[in-house]
Amino acid sequence: MKSLLLLALLPFCNAVAHEMTPTYPTFSKSFMAGISVTTLNIFNKRKDVSYYEIGVFTDKWEPIPFVSEYTIIPMKYLDTVSFDVYVSNLSLGSVEFICSVSQVQAGATVSSKICSRIK
Amino acid sequence: MKKLLIVSLLLAPHIPAYAEDTPIVGNVQTRCLITTDTNGVFGNPLPSKLSTASADGGVVPVIRYDVTLADAYHAKVTTPTAFSSSPSLSDSVTWTGTTAVSKTSDAGMSGYEAAKVTYGSTTQFDLTIAGSTWFSSEATAVYGVSKSFPGGSYTAIVLAECIAK
Repeated sequence: MKSLLLLALLPFCNAVAHEMTPTYPTFSKSFMAGISVTTLNIFNKRKDVSYYEIGVFTDKWEPIPFVSEYTIIPMKYLDTVSFDVYVSNLSLGSVEFICSVSQVQAGATVSSKICSRIK
Repeated sequence: MKKLLIVSLLLAPHIPAYAEDTPIVGNVQTRCLITTDTNGVFGNPLPSKLSTASADGGVVPVIRYDVTLADAYHAKVTTPTAFSSSPSLSDSVTWTGTTAVSKTSDAGMSGYEAAKVTYGSTTQFDLTIAGSTWFSSEATAVYGVSKSFPGGSYTAIVLAECIAK
């Protein structure tokens, strides 16, 4: 019976990593009136991840509308991507977290999420 | 020959030295790096049970957090509550999971385990010291009431979060 069960076997001892900086980004005026912008960087050292989803949230984890070149950023292995996040000045005071979440492919066993905080 | 050598030595100070200082620049900033050190593997000790515990023949997933600034991040590890892929299941699956500190790079991090906060399937750790911390996250799935899991491939996902304070 046991042999019928093929379990999720993945190569282990295979270090993969996700990093996002800065920890405490700051918004500044953008080229458009009423819109502020901040820049963040993601480093992808996960061979099993090709996309990271960006989200902007309040302190209660409610989503806040934002604009970026990509909401889901395509990334190659060992790529570092710099991206801008544009937020309306009307909702700027509510922005608490900017997060990136790995979009795992079938077979991956760990999803990673890193959130920077606006202070 | 000696004269030539003396003349060369006398002229030597007049030869310009083509040396420059080459700076090496770097920028260290606060960061959190989440690394999957070991991917988990389910063992199948009973027909109705899948478990990553080594006692059950599984491999416990290990996730490493590296932080470069003390007291800047929370680590949250959430054990799975569903399969991300599996054969069709007709009965419910009961999940249990635990997350613990398995290794630290600093002796001062020994208090992380005692100070952890668990709610639902999520365990939160306060990363008060800069350095690396390894978390192991065990998960067990039991199918129905002593039902056998259907044959096939099963995958579940552990969510590792690093949230700035």
